Amino acid sequence: MISVVAMKKAKSKPRKKQSKSKKPLLTRLIFRAVLLLILILIFAVVYLDVTVRERFEGKRWKLPAQVYARPLELYPGLQLSPREINDELNLLGYHQTPHPQKPGSYLWHDRVLELITRDFTFAEGFQPGADLRLSFSNGHLQRITNAASNEKIQLIRLDPPLIGGIYPEQNEDRVLVKLDQVPQTVINALIAVEDRRFYSHHGVDLKGITRALVAMAKGGQIQGGSTITQQLVKNFYLSSERTIQRKLVEMVMALLLEVHYSKEEILETYLNEVYLGQDGNRAIHGFGLASHFFFDKPVSQLELQDAALLVGMLKGPSHYNPRTQPQRARQRRNLVLQLMEEHGTVSWTEASSARNQPLGAVERPIRGTSPFPAFMDLVQRQLRQNYRDEDLRSQGLKILTTLDQRVQRAAEAALQQRLSELEGSRRLNQDSLQGAILVTSSQNAEIQALVGGRDPRFEGFDRALDARRPIGSLIKPVVFLTALEQPDSYNLATQLDDSPLVVEQNGSTDWEPQNFDKKFHGQVLLHDALVHSYNVSTARLGLELGPDTVMKSLQRLGVERSLPAYPSSLLGANALTPLEVSQVYQSIASGGFKTPLKAIREVLTSEGVTLQHYPLDVELVASSEATYLLTVAMQDVVTQGTAKDLENYLPQELGIAGKTGTTDDFRDSWFAGFSGDRLAVVWVGRDDNQSTGLTGSSGAMTIWGSMLAKLDPQPLILPEPDRIEAHWIDRPTGLLSARGCKDAVLLPFISGSAPRESVPCRAGKETGNKNWFERIFQ
Amino acid sequence: MKLLKDLGMILSVTLILAGCTTSFLPPPSQNSAVVSLLEQAQSLSAAGQLDQAGASLERALRIEPRNPLLWQRLAAVRIDQQQYLQAENLAKKSNALAQGDHNLRRENWLLIARARSLNGDDEGSREARERAGQE
Repeated sequence: MISVVAMKKAKSKPRKKQSKSKKPLLTRLIFRAVLLLILILIFAVVYLDVTVRERFEGKRWKLPAQVYARPLELYPGLQLSPREINDELNLLGYHQTPHPQKPGSYLWHDRVLELITRDFTFAEGFQPGADLRLSFSNGHLQRITNAASNEKIQLIRLDPPLIGGIYPEQNEDRVLVKLDQVPQTVINALIAVEDRRFYSHHGVDLKGITRALVAMAKGGQIQGGSTITQQLVKNFYLSSERTIQRKLVEMVMALLLEVHYSKEEILETYLNEVYLGQDGNRAIHGFGLASHFFFDKPVSQLELQDAALLVGMLKGPSHYNPRTQPQRARQRRNLVLQLMEEHGTVSWTEASSARNQPLGAVERPIRGTSPFPAFMDLVQRQLRQNYRDEDLRSQGLKILTTLDQRVQRAAEAALQQRLSELEGSRRLNQDSLQGAILVTSSQNAEIQALVGGRDPRFEGFDRALDARRPIGSLIKPVVFLTALEQPDSYNLATQLDDSPLVVEQNGSTDWEPQNFDKKFHGQVLLHDALVHSYNVSTARLGLELGPDTVMKSLQRLGVERSLPAYPSSLLGANALTPLEVSQVYQSIASGGFKTPLKAIREVLTSEGVTLQHYPLDVELVASSEATYLLTVAMQDVVTQGTAKDLENYLPQELGIAGKTGTTDDFRDSWFAGFSGDRLAVVWVGRDDNQSTGLTGSSGAMTIWGSMLAKLDPQPLILPEPDRIEAHWIDRPTGLLSARGCKDAVLLPFISGSAPRESVPCRAGKETGNKNWFERIFQ
Repeated sequence: MKLLKDLGMILSVTLILAGCTTSFLPPPSQNSAVVSLLEQAQSLSAAGQLDQAGASLERALRIEPRNPLLWQRLAAVRIDQQQYLQAENLAKKSNALAQGDHNLRRENWLLIARARSLNGDDEGSREARERAGQE
């Protein structure tokens, strides 16, 4: 039996097997296919899930680095006119109102300014906004008091003006807001217009879709039906293709988003994400930035009509731009108010009162990524030495810079105006001249202004940083400093030979330097060779010192490249940028101490934590005594020499020290000089390197003068080093003379280096024009 | 030149006389903002917040870039920050601006002596101390 059973079983088995394998094959295939499909679907959903979460959570937004100008320090005694502080308040976007109550508002009562400042986090910490009273008199800020307590304030800063950003791709700019900062009216408006069932659907609004489909089927307009969640998902992609597939993916992602995140999180993200306008090449994203951009107030202060306008603009930010399309914008805003009323989130009274309000968008010039692109260029270069480009474009860093907008505006205006005047008076082609300017604080080496060309808004070639041009006679102070640093061999009274000079050069034509006036001057004092910028005597002196030694001095003073050392290098054949020239002259202006020129003071995180401070470093690179002698001679360049015409712009009493520079065929016109507080370098030339017909003093110097004249320069009073003594020198011989003798000139010397021999005193006039040194010591 | 020396003489005599009658010390600056920043730097420095102390002094130097006392205080902060070369350079800068102020210059040389010795330069430190004696 057992075997029979076994046989039966054995027999029945194959049969069963047969019937099983025949019939369910299809089912099994289908089953497998379905399984596979489910797996794929699961995989796809998981993939979409991961993607959507990554996009949502990961770096949700790239926040541009924000770049600020220097904050204005306010203290009693500060030289500051009401007009100047008005300019600053303008740049900061402060508003004059009859009753200042909000931060960023002010009112003038005669010479007293009532001002409510804004909060700002500086490197030293948070400075809360304050209600201040500022009294002015005679171009000075006289007193600061706290308006509430009447207490005197010794020192306070305004918030620094924002001058630009370092933006992510597409130049997206935004100011992040938290949902609890956003007034309920904004959310109500948004929901009434974009997604009425936002709080009840799960990411996809089936009723909405059905309604949209029905409407379309009836031949009506194409309706959205997209929920806020779907719109947000759509924004995660760069392309905006409209296919069924994409729509399905969007729906799934919207559903997934709602599984993971609350309605509040989704709403907050949406409010920060959306595109709301364009400012030049800068894209305005999110309600936070849009409220500042259009209404000049934080999002929390948006009123019903503002909220309705912004929400209305979502449909087409440029189509409904309140500044360019006020009519359309108003209609759209009022439609939003009507929808809100229908939805029951505002009353009829509220809505109609809002409808009667003006649009309220503030006027502001197009700023783009920055009004000061040349300076921003330098800031970015300095930042790239320490930061990754990606971080600069995404981490919302705050960059506090040294730019002083008052100095910057003066520099831009002087360059534009003088170049046009020069072209007019010299019959040059219009717009043929170009120029560049750098202004620094002479002791701290902070760059206060940088102009890269005559159109200061142009974002291209930055001549201040990148135009390498022969510096001509600007090299001479370096030659003379090198000599004066050897007091055993040279002093200001050393006789230099200014007779014809021929230098034979291997494999090249002879070098025969000429003076500007095509004359030779025989024996001249070293002092006078600099003052009158004699080429031949300077070349001879430089050859004695060695071109190599002079080029090393140039590097020591601040040029970071090695430069060729030919005889012609001694007369400025080597090309430097205005920035490099400024670094060299900065070392002279600060008495032989080199401080790297800086454009950035601090870098803070978006939360205000200091990441980096750029300290004030100094290094003694040239003898203080020699630098003093050189500077005295450079003051005489202005009182007696090639820069004498500077007196058409600035009084000689300021004691300004400077040097003109002109290159072959008048291709480049330079002036570098400093007052007690500022150093400035100006270059003028043509981009095609043709002749300008200008000398250093007829071109660059006039720009320098008209710029400085607007900046109330402080007189240059040189601290005299210890080992300095003064002697009367006989100009024709360079020997000792005495006060009251003919051709006698008073000059400073490093102790023990003055000539010992003297000439008999001849009766007659001392030198006609008193030099700077005599003016001080007589 | 002579005029200056005379002036310096008169000034120092006046100061010494003033010093004899009262414990009068000249204010570090005529500018109250600078004075308040100096005080702020001092208390930050005492609290060990050296970066902030340095930042306050740099802020003061933007207002009065030729005030030698500010450069000296910055040098002192750099010593505490163990930046000895910078400390020496800043003290030298202070010296260059402290024309005729022998007290300040003596302190600067002593500061340089300290910076050099902390930096392991005993010979240089001795020289700086000698220079301090000559002021």
